[in-house]
Amino acid sequence: MAVSSAVLSMQNENRTFVHYRMEASCLDLALEAERLCKGGDYGVGVSFFEAAMQVGTEDLQVLSAIYSQLGNAYFHLQDYSKSLEFHHHDLILTRTTGDRLGEAKASGNLGNTLKVLGRFDEAEVCCQRHLDIARELGDKVGQGRALYNFGNVFHAKGKSVCMSGTAPGDFPEEVTTALQKAAEYYEADLCIVKELGDRAAQGRTYGNLGNTYYLLGNFRDALASHEQRLLIAKEFGDRSAERRAYCNLGNACIFLEEFERAAEHYRKALQLARQLKELAVEAQACYSLGNTYTLLQDYERAIDYHLKHLIIAQDLNDRIGEGRACWSLGNAHTALGNHDQAMHFAEKHLEISKETGDRSGELTARM
Amino acid sequence: SAVATLRSDHFEMEPETMETKSLTDYFNKMHRDVMMGMPKIEE
Repeated sequence: MAVSSAVLSMQNENRTFVHYRMEASCLDLALEAERLCKGGDYGVGVSFFEAAMQVGTEDLQVLSAIYSQLGNAYFHLQDYSKSLEFHHHDLILTRTTGDRLGEAKASGNLGNTLKVLGRFDEAEVCCQRHLDIARELGDKVGQGRALYNFGNVFHAKGKSVCMSGTAPGDFPEEVTTALQKAAEYYEADLCIVKELGDRAAQGRTYGNLGNTYYLLGNFRDALASHEQRLLIAKEFGDRSAERRAYCNLGNACIFLEEFERAAEHYRKALQLARQLKELAVEAQACYSLGNTYTLLQDYERAIDYHLKHLIIAQDLNDRIGEGRACWSLGNAHTALGNHDQAMHFAEKHLEISKETGDRSGELTARM
Repeated sequence: SAVATLRSDHFEMEPETMETKSLTDYFNKMHRDVMMGMPKIEE
């Protein structure tokens, strides 16, 4: 087995350099890379995988795993072209060696990456291959995962052509068709993961199915799906999933005109976002709460939440968010008859709209 | 309507599920196979 003998310098997440004395085989380096990636240290993990590749191996299963994990690491690092490159290498390799399970997995990963890149037709081909091989091998887990990925591709395809500003349920036929397909794939996936008793997979599928029903304008079904998602998130103590479910439940309640219930869900989402220290999500929850209290005609509370949103948007240097907060604050102050305050925020909104090139915002502000 | 104006366009998707090819599992299996193939030591 080839052995590397060198000193590798790598920058870890604290931006300090770590020096590794290398006298290791390809597999040793790759195992260390796997350990680092499992711990979330993808940057250093990638360096180790690359060092492993430099050493080289004649074991094609090890090489396939390195390609696959490198692809996944780049996916987590949001370097999708690199991710695509390695998942493609893995697909070619597994096809050459006749490793059907490996080919199914490579296809699934390639499909996910192509979806993120907006290459939906190619992603569909990959998902179909993943599903076909999983069926051929009688691999129920693989079938469920392929159906989930398929649902995600159609959901993203539908959303990519959604017209901004169009309300859910009012999209063009092309969008509705894609979303209906997404719902069918998620429902088929749900049958399999229920049969397998895989609660974690059920949770993910319920979440995305709920969002698909929401876009299709089926708000009651969306609510039921997100309630299931919430239940499973609580079973696992998964607070991020819980927060997502509360946010999505709030959205569905708005369309059902159950504003008090929506506010309750958004408040829980806000509380969890604060616990998880997710500032951008906290800002979004404040914005949603501000809008919900506006619908409840409780303008004092609406102002309170829109101000909280404004402060976070300023902290994050999010000019678009800041503009939205100013617009909302202007409206709430107008409703309360605070004309000076309303004018102040309207002027601020106009200034930000000009700066960000938001023409519709600029026109609204001038009104 | 007011709902159409004040609804949220922001909804939260679940994460993608990436397939994994575990090297640790492969290494453990390789190690086990080697151990099982070793001749028994006569006492």
